[in-house]
Parts: sequence; C-alpha cells; structure tokens
Amino acid sequence: MLLILEVIGLVALGVYEFWQVDWRGMELGHLSQRMVEALVYALFVPSAILTLMSALSFIFLRRRGWLGAAIAQGVSLAVCLWLYTLFQPGYVYPIMAYCILMIFYLNSQDVRVVFHPRRGEAKQKLGGVV
Amino acid sequence: MTAGVETATALLRRFEPVLRSTKGDKFYPMDVEPYVQACSLWVQRPGQEAVCVVRGDKLTLDKLAQQPLDEAGAVHFLKFTDEDDIGPDSRGRRLRRFQRSAKNRKESREAFRAGRGRLARVGYVSRFVDALYSITLLARGRVPGESAAAASVAYERIMAENEHYRYHGRVVRQDGWIVLQYWLFYPFNDWRSGFFGANDHEADWEKVFVYLSETEAGEVSPEWVAYAAHNYTGDNLRRRWDDPEVEKVGEHPVVYVGAGSHASYYSSGEYLTELNLPLPSPLARVADAVRSFWKTRLGQYVRDGDEDEEPGYFYIPFVDYARGDGLSVGEGGDRAWDEPRLITDPPPDWVSGYRGLWGLYARDPFEGEDAPAGPMYNRDKSINRAWYDPVGWAGLDKVPPPTETLEAVLEEREDIASRCTALRTEIEEKSWQLKKLGAEVASMRGRSHLDAPYEEGTKRIAELSGELDRLRARLATDETVSESLEEYAARLRAGEHDPARAHISRAHTPASEDELRVSRVAEAWAAVSVSLMLISFVGIWMFEREHLISMLVFSIALFAFVEAGFRGRLVNLVSSANIGLAVVATLVIVYEFFWQLVVAIVLIVGLYVLWDNLRELRR
Repeated sequence: MLLILEVIGLVALGVYEFWQVDWRGMELGHLSQRMVEALVYALFVPSAILTLMSALSFIFLRRRGWLGAAIAQGVSLAVCLWLYTLFQPGYVYPIMAYCILMIFYLNSQDVRVVFHPRRGEAKQKLGGVV
Repeated sequence: MTAGVETATALLRRFEPVLRSTKGDKFYPMDVEPYVQACSLWVQRPGQEAVCVVRGDKLTLDKLAQQPLDEAGAVHFLKFTDEDDIGPDSRGRRLRRFQRSAKNRKESREAFRAGRGRLARVGYVSRFVDALYSITLLARGRVPGESAAAASVAYERIMAENEHYRYHGRVVRQDGWIVLQYWLFYPFNDWRSGFFGANDHEADWEKVFVYLSETEAGEVSPEWVAYAAHNYTGDNLRRRWDDPEVEKVGEHPVVYVGAGSHASYYSSGEYLTELNLPLPSPLARVADAVRSFWKTRLGQYVRDGDEDEEPGYFYIPFVDYARGDGLSVGEGGDRAWDEPRLITDPPPDWVSGYRGLWGLYARDPFEGEDAPAGPMYNRDKSINRAWYDPVGWAGLDKVPPPTETLEAVLEEREDIASRCTALRTEIEEKSWQLKKLGAEVASMRGRSHLDAPYEEGTKRIAELSGELDRLRARLATDETVSESLEEYAARLRAGEHDPARAHISRAHTPASEDELRVSRVAEAWAAVSVSLMLISFVGIWMFEREHLISMLVFSIALFAFVEAGFRGRLVNLVSSANIGLAVVATLVIVYEFFWQLVVAIVLIVGLYVLWDNLRELRR
C-alpha cells in the first residue's frame, strides 16, 4: 500500500512538474533551469516502475519483492542526492523524506523477519594461539 | 590422584582415540624422547642473544628438567630444526635448502588441494585485514620459511630409525569422574606454510579427554569426550558419548585432525575459523551503544547470529581442513598405536620440571609462532587448567556423574525443602509484625502530636512490606524449583536422560556442501579483488582527478555489488547502502529545513497534547 502510494505520489509530482513548464518557449540550445529540472525527473521512472512491481510482489510475500522495493528506494534516494548536489530542485525533498521513511520501514525487525527468516550460522573463533 | 599403572594403561588402551588426518599432513603423534634427543636446549634472557645450553646430541628427557641459567624473565626453549639446514648461508646450503623446499612444496601440492579458498568465504574487509596480517608477519617474529621442510626431514629421520605412533596418557580422578587424558605430541605445526593457516611453530601439544563414570562394583563406562580445538574451553568442547556426532570404532572415539594445526574435530570437513581483532575499547563501547540503539529503540534489523556472538568488527579467516582422508592411526586404521608413554603421579621431571617451550621461541608478540609449553604448563609458565582441572576445563564441573546425579538431585531438593520451612516461619513472623505495625500506625492517624512517629511507622511499614514481598517471591520460586527437582528425579528413576546436546550453545560445524560449491570465477575474484580495488583507486587518482569523488563512489559500489553477488549477500548490501543513503538524506533535510522542522515538531507536540487533553475531557 505504501509502495503504491509512493508511485502515485511520484507520478503526481512528475505531472505537476511538467505542467508547470512552458514547453512552447523551449529552445534546444538554451534550456531554462525549470525545464532541466522537469526533464531530469525522468530519472525517477525506472525506480517508479520497480516500486510498482515490488508492490505487486509484496502482495504474495515474495523475498524478491522486498529486494526490489529496497533497490527502488536506494535508487530514488541516490538520484535525489545527486540532483541535490547539481541544482537542488524542490521536488527532491518530499521524495527524500518519503524514501527515508520507507527505508527504515523496510529494514524494521518485523518486516525483515517476514521476508528473511533467520538461518543458523556457527563459525568458530580462534580462542587464542594454537 | 592417579590410578595404578596397569589399570591406567588398560583404561587408556581401551578407549584410545582413532586419529584421522588429512591428506598432505606430514606429522603424526610421536614420543617425546626421540624428539628431545634431536633437539638442542636454548635460553633467551631479557635483552640478550639466545644461548645454547645443551647441544643437540647431548640432550635427554632427564636433562631437560634441569634448566640451567633459569632466572626471572628467561625463556627456555628447544630447537628441533637442524642448524645445518637453516644456519648461516653458504652456496651449498642455500641450494640444498631451495631443493628441499621445492620438493616439499611439490609434495604438498600433489597431496593437498585447498578447494574453495578461505578468502572466497569471507568479506572484503576481512580480506583487506588478512593482507595486513600477512604483511605484519614480515615484521613479527616468525618461524623461518624453511623450518617446515627441515622439520619434515628430521621427523622422517626419526621415523626411519623407529617408526612409531604414540600418545602420552594420564589417568586422573576428579569430582567423581575418571578422566583419561590423551596428550598428543606433534613435532611441528605447519598450518601456515602447508595449509594457508594462521601460524607455524615447532612442537604441538594437543589433547583428547575421555570422561568415565564408575559404579560401586568398579565397572566403568564412558560418558563424555572433549577434544581440544584452538584453545577453546568449556561446554562447547565436550560431547556426550551417545551423541551421534561422536563417531566411534568399537569403544574408540574418532578424532578428525586439522591439517597442520592438529586441532581436533568430531566430524570431518572444512572449518572456517576466525581470528577476531577487537576494536579499541572506547570505539567498541560507542559501536555497541549505536548497535543497541539501532535495534531496541529504532526497532531495526540486526544480522543473523549477532546477538549470540561476541562483538567483533574485523575478522581474519582461516580454514582448518579436517577431511579425514589421510593416514588413520588407531583401532581399524592404517597404523596402530604403540604402547603409550604413561604420565604417572607424581609426574615425571620432563613434565613438571621443564617449564620452557617445546620448540623454537620466535619472539612473536602474538605468540602464534612461538612453540607451546608442555602438557602441564602454559607459555607464561603458569599451570595449564586442562592439567590441574580437566573436569572444569570441559565445563563438566557442574555435571555429576550418572551414579551421583539422583543423589545430588534429592539432596538439593532436601536443602530447598528445609529452606522453604525456614522461609515460611520467617514470613509468618514478619507478616504478624507487619499487621501489628499497621494497627499502630492506624491508631496514630489524624493526631497531629503524633505526626513524627506516624511518618516513621509508615516508612517502616513500606520497608517491611517490601521485605515480605521478596521473601514470598523467594518461597514461591523455591517451591517451583522443588517441584521441578521432584519431576527430574522421577525422570532419572525411569532411566530418562537429558538431550545429548542441550549444553552446546555453539557447535563447531564444518562448511556445508552449498558453501563449498562455488565457481572458479568466484575463487579467482576473491584472490584478486582487494589488489584490483587498490589498483583502481590509484588509476582514478592518476587519470580521473576531476571526477575523483564520483569515480571513487562508483568504483566502490561496483566492487561491492560484484562481491555481494558472488557471496549471496545482495540483501545485506542493499540494506546497508540504503541506510547510508538515508542517513545522508536525513542530514540534508535537517540542514535545509532545520527551523521548519523545529516548528513542525513543536506544532505536532502541541497538537498531540491538545488531542490528549480533549480526549480526557470527553470521557
């Protein structure tokens, strides 16, 4: 549900960004800051698709669903941070905030235990010299 | 107390272990006498060069105990490898040494294949630390590279004169147990040079203990065994005789011997052994606090097994190969044991009188390359626990022998019953005292001139009430324990036993088939990855200085991704990377919206208080 909400948010934010730009006045040599910000928003498309697919996998409690969702959050956050270092578009902040919450949620004990049950593992340590 | 010589020998022979070594191993348990005769005795006094005090051809077991030039700080040690083999260089000697080393390496290669490399089984940081560890060997004291070859030649010479396979046996009675101690002496530990292990050293003392119980009629039966592995002590070392993990040939327990290290294992296989390099204590405390906050306060996930393991952040991996496909010594094996050398009580002089090292003193600050002391002593000349407390060494001091278990249970129950009686009397007295005190305080209530004694009485009531509560809790616990003991006694009378492995918290388990199944590519990657990463860093520094940070981040991410793919740790990698990104993003948001966040938090708190108060009003 949270993942689907995220996809809806990303799409809505994207539509809003494109809506705000006056594309008729676009010149190929001189793109305005606003246009560049709207264009680079396309970088969120892969992670939005991955998020949507993960949301569907989540319904069936598939381990792959968790991994997909986690990768999607990581990619979104990495893109946000990269864009932040370049020209700080306003839309990165809500995406960042949502991704942070999602990352902590996905990594919480309860969620991880469902998708990654514990495996016994015993390695021995050298108690000293032999 | 040690048993009589004949009985002791008979008992030792009846339960003597079967040793199964790994193909490629060159050294087997031998008698100390020919070894000592092949050695020279040296002393290293503080701040001085080592001095030879007894030459090789003059040393005997009797002379060993005399230890001339003994003084504070002096370390006595033996040298097994021939001076001619590793002494001052001459062209002839260098050539002979080179030929012998080459022959030795060739033989080892033919006999032993490591299989999946140890580095392929552990992570990047561990590999990097391992590289540093190898470099420190150049600076640390260590056994010379040719020693293993020279020791092999010396051992072959001894075996050619008199081939024998012998253990040193000791029989001790302690706490109702009869302990059969099998002390196994190997002339050399070539774990590092022969099998990619942690260390090499001259001489190696290993031990296998069998614990017997004895009936009133004098019948003995084996109950437990304990095999020494890498200086481990306690419950995890021992196994019950009927544990399926303890393989037996008749009444002889089977020991799988680690190649080169001679550590003893219950099952054949390859054991990943880790040397834990702890963080400095202040850093470790901070790391523990963060970890605890992360798990308990934030409810975040902590990796498998982390809770039970001692905290450590850097590990150097070593594999102990105990495959059992080599020479087998003992019942039904390739070679039979020779008559054991008995260690009687009082112990012979070579055991109690010689407190030095049984091989070369390499002056390694970590001691891994120094030879061990004898069965009775530690390297620092203190007495070895396995010698003076063999029962406690294997954690058996809290376990009564089967013949005494029921008696111990019933006696403990009686003790608890009498404690309960005393507690009931005390509770009755205190309860009556409390009632009287309550009546006294009630009589003073509302009388202003008695305010002070009233206050004091109230305080005494609280104290007495608390004490009474503690006594009742203790009584309730004791009564429950008593019931539990009664049930336990009934189970024992019915012939039931505890689960054989209930005492084991962490068993040594060999690597599984899945872990061993890995492609050559993964192994090759493990071998080259650390060097490749360092080289790529240098390349970026030289040719991509303009995009230094982004290229470094990209290359680290790439290496980490490939690495995680090979090791099946993609989930952990994604999780760790996400957490790192989330932390950075949080800092960015806090930096950009600090005051807005403060205002939002204050608003949220205000709204919460308002909502809470309104909810109370509506009730």
